[in-house]
Amino acid sequence: MERQEIIDGLVEILRTVRTIDPQKLNNVTEETDFIADLNTPSTELINIAAKAEQKFDVEFDDDDIDDMGSKVKDIVDLVIKVKARA
Amino acid sequence: MENQGRKVAVVGMGGAFPTCADLNDFSEKLFSNKSLIRVWDEAVSFDKQVRSKVSGYITDAEMNLETIYSTIVANYPEVYVDLLNRIPTSNLATADMGSIWAMLATKEAIKMAGWSEKEVQSEGTGVIIGSGGCGHAILRPAWHHVFQLGGKSRSPGAHTVDRGMVYREAANVSCLIKNRGVVETIVSACATGLGNIGHAYRLIKFGAQDRVITGGVETTSIESLFGFDSMAVLSRGFAPEESSRPFDVNRNGFVCSFGAGLVCLEEYEMAKNRGAKILGVIDNYFNNSDGDGDMFYPSFGGQRRLWKGLLGDSGIRPDVVKVHGTSTPAGDPIELFSVVDVLGDSGYHISAPKSQFGHMLGAAGAVEFITAILMLQKQMVLPCLNANDLNAELENIQKSPDWNGPVEPMNSYRHLLPQQSFQKEVNTVACLNYGFGGTNSAMLVSKDVS
Repeated sequence: MERQEIIDGLVEILRTVRTIDPQKLNNVTEETDFIADLNTPSTELINIAAKAEQKFDVEFDDDDIDDMGSKVKDIVDLVIKVKARA
Repeated sequence: MENQGRKVAVVGMGGAFPTCADLNDFSEKLFSNKSLIRVWDEAVSFDKQVRSKVSGYITDAEMNLETIYSTIVANYPEVYVDLLNRIPTSNLATADMGSIWAMLATKEAIKMAGWSEKEVQSEGTGVIIGSGGCGHAILRPAWHHVFQLGGKSRSPGAHTVDRGMVYREAANVSCLIKNRGVVETIVSACATGLGNIGHAYRLIKFGAQDRVITGGVETTSIESLFGFDSMAVLSRGFAPEESSRPFDVNRNGFVCSFGAGLVCLEEYEMAKNRGAKILGVIDNYFNNSDGDGDMFYPSFGGQRRLWKGLLGDSGIRPDVVKVHGTSTPAGDPIELFSVVDVLGDSGYHISAPKSQFGHMLGAAGAVEFITAILMLQKQMVLPCLNANDLNAELENIQKSPDWNGPVEPMNSYRHLLPQQSFQKEVNTVACLNYGFGGTNSAMLVSKDVS
């Protein structure tokens, strides 16, 4: 799975999170920070992780979630890592 | 128990009412003797799994709300959308449907009260709101996914607690209005609505708060109907508008309904000094318990003590008694006899709003308190619909050797129960509500006479 494909999928997920301003999702890059740049409420991160599991057909470990950073590239790395692990 | 303290005024009202666009529509329909009870398609869809299929329910569309369901957890409301943009998205994210009703009702009530943003956001402003049930619509699909389908706890996302906890409506309202005073919930089954208003009244009366947004909420929930349906205490066999028939000899249960009622209470002198319109003045609130160890059955002795505590030696005599009047075979006679026992058989009327919209459970006492304020405003008495025939025979309880209440059959008091609304001088209304566990609540509210 290409990194850009994962980013595009993530943006689709983020557009379902109504507390994120959709305007801010037009220029998402790997460096975009969910909290600092998108003002995502911290309570939504677990929701995003659960939706990412479904969308990319992966299952994160609890430690993966605890150690996950707040940037887009952190989830991209995690998805690739978990896919490789499988 | 006599308590001296500050006076408490009612200065605002708001709510969510079955089949009604707003409070004015609600008032118009009630005083036009209409019923807000319908056949509930969701109950009908369960066919023989459920006995009672009528309700005073409210749909998402009727509140201009829309449910967005989870793509991970089947039937799980991931978030609600306010189609009229009345509530900010960040507040919607933490709210179940009832909490949204509460936030909408809060905005309406505060607007009517005329409270400034500075007043609302002060330490003197509290939020006291409760509901009878938990967040069924949130919790059932979320935990079904975990228990039955082997899903992870994170699958529904992180909002099962804030949208399912007991005091979710109070919490959501407080986060919306950003008050800095007390935020609490009082829960006492079907006395919850009046119990919250009573607690709020005491907070102001005893000087802990200057103003409180308070009341009760019961969000539309098929699970709530199922629970009471399993007890065989819900009405069945009548047309929807005839299903709730308090005091009628053919009544066979209550109608499980839903709604929200919130009021703004304010210390009387403060309200007067800022020129607020005083909708009513609370004379007293009293609550107690039966003390007979019975979870369900009402107590004549408990209600007799309730009245004694409510009236004390105030000399107040209500023009209207807004009864709990559920339409159950057991509850209605005891309530009627306890009213007659203290007030006699003339000089007042009995109003039973549940005859028009059913039993709103945790919201009942609050929505019915609003009907009491409406009666003060309109100078009209709301009816007891469908009380067509009252029992001409003695009730079983009256045949007990221990009975020391009224000795006439229920139909001797026919004249106290109007079947249509009518005009009369209404200066004071007594409000009564009871709940499982033997809890009893009563409030007196009067027109402002100064």
